[in-house]
Amino acid sequence: MLVEVGLPMLVIVVLVLVLPLFIPAFVASLVTKMMIYGLFGMSLNIIWGYAGIPSFGHAAFFGAGAYGAGILILRVGISNFWLNMLLALVATAVIAAILGVPAFRVFGVGAGTANPIYFLLATIAFGELLARVAIWLRPITGGSTGLSGIPEPDLGLGFRITSGRYYYLVFVILAICIYIMYRIVNSHYGYALRGIHDNERRMQALGYNTWLYKYTSWIIAAVFGGVAGVLFAYYGSTLVPNNLAMVTSDIAFLLVIMGSTTVFFGPLIASVVFVGVEYVASLYLPDRWPLIFGFMFVLTIMLIPDGLGVWILRGWRRFIRGAAA
Amino acid sequence: MAPLLEIRDVSMHFGGLAALTDVSFGIEPGERLALIGPNGAGKTTLFNVLTGQLHPSAGEVLFRGHDITHASVFSRTHLGMARSFQITSLFPHQSVKVNALIALQGTKKGRYNLVSYLMKDKHMQAEAQRLLESHGLWDLREATVSSLAYGLQRKLEIALSLASDPELLLLDEPSCGLTTTESAEITALIKDLGSKITVLMIAHDMDLVFGVAERVMLLHYGRIACEGTCDEIRSNQMVRDIYMGTRHAAPGHEATDDRDR
Repeated sequence: MLVEVGLPMLVIVVLVLVLPLFIPAFVASLVTKMMIYGLFGMSLNIIWGYAGIPSFGHAAFFGAGAYGAGILILRVGISNFWLNMLLALVATAVIAAILGVPAFRVFGVGAGTANPIYFLLATIAFGELLARVAIWLRPITGGSTGLSGIPEPDLGLGFRITSGRYYYLVFVILAICIYIMYRIVNSHYGYALRGIHDNERRMQALGYNTWLYKYTSWIIAAVFGGVAGVLFAYYGSTLVPNNLAMVTSDIAFLLVIMGSTTVFFGPLIASVVFVGVEYVASLYLPDRWPLIFGFMFVLTIMLIPDGLGVWILRGWRRFIRGAAA
Repeated sequence: MAPLLEIRDVSMHFGGLAALTDVSFGIEPGERLALIGPNGAGKTTLFNVLTGQLHPSAGEVLFRGHDITHASVFSRTHLGMARSFQITSLFPHQSVKVNALIALQGTKKGRYNLVSYLMKDKHMQAEAQRLLESHGLWDLREATVSSLAYGLQRKLEIALSLASDPELLLLDEPSCGLTTTESAEITALIKDLGSKITVLMIAHDMDLVFGVAERVMLLHYGRIACEGTCDEIRSNQMVRDIYMGTRHAAPGHEATDDRDR
């Protein structure tokens, strides 16, 4: 167990920590993006992979976190990174709590509801709705051109993060989020989510208020998506309404499919592939991005329907068994 | 003695179709009551009204004197009711042990605990072991449920229903689809439940009904056609006409129709 899980974790952590010393700054920036998108994908996986609630509108929360941070810093003038993040996450949670009521009460997903397709359509609408709001509220959100010029994060006590060090900040926050999410999905509550995924009717018969579980997991997933959004706001220093819309939701959707819904780290692994492909595509085929994006969906479903996570895990276990024998 | 569960003039209409009409009966604590009837008699509808899946068009359902007519499915479990499912209803992707753990924590306060690991909760682990051992499933604890033989899944089905330590157990076709030997095992299991648990079951399997039930109730076209002890039911001409005479009910055979519903 220690070798099987501990060793690869240690290797990856050390590798990620020393990597910036050996790679050019733009590659470090790519790795930062991998971490941010990885967190975004993992946050969707909480509701999708564990509770079995797919959402096409997860970018609503990614964007809410990002816009929240951007507005607070540029319009309200809160420069402290931590305070900024806290307030942005509270805003994200409130938005998720409000949107969650019609999502689960009116459209619904799981036992006793007509068809999850209505829920999926509603989640698409949420993202598009927020993107519209971002366009309308021009004085606050900058309209369709969005917000730009988000400064480097100020961690307080006169400690300013330069672009080279942002990598480490993202790494630390990602590590904290992964730890918290890991505890949640393996907690009593987390197992209840798995149960709801497998058989919601039975869960109700066993005494679980499944509605409450679905609703709260939706908010939890939104908050972690919001963290990714806040990190993204500082990362790119520019935000556009599309960060709230389906174009961005699709990224999380792809990451979960590609990374496998059943593996906790899956979306993070998929994020490495995704950002890598995105970069290469931007060099050689910048006009063909939607096509390549679609291809990634198709190839994933055709070649690795279980996802990269399952695939890697299986290979690694076989390797360990082979080495032990 | 006041009945544990009381149904008063329950009617259930689906549009113009009356699935249940003025059904009234009570179950005494510790009693074993079987509900029989041909397909379409309203057994499953009645069962769904009792478990909270459906809310009746008229009438009321009382459990220990509380009106639970409109109570939700999960709150009934907290009051002391539990049910099994006709179509095996487990958590197929999880191990047998996780199934037991999830079932056990359904009525525990810790079920909303976001922080501590379920797998490291010693108290819950011990309870899961006790539950699974008492049903002879402990040796299979690491097996994924979907890979279990059907007979074992049926056993686990009943084990999960008993996890909440219920006062009233509602069994929906507990021996559905089992072989005669397996069915006999289930019969023995229900017999051994002890007088603390009251049982109401729907069954097509007459060996099970006559082996377990103290009282049998026949439902026909949404009404209680007759009720009595096993012997009375066995010798009742109306029962023969309605149920056994016209169409012979082989165990688990007719049930397939119910399943497609």
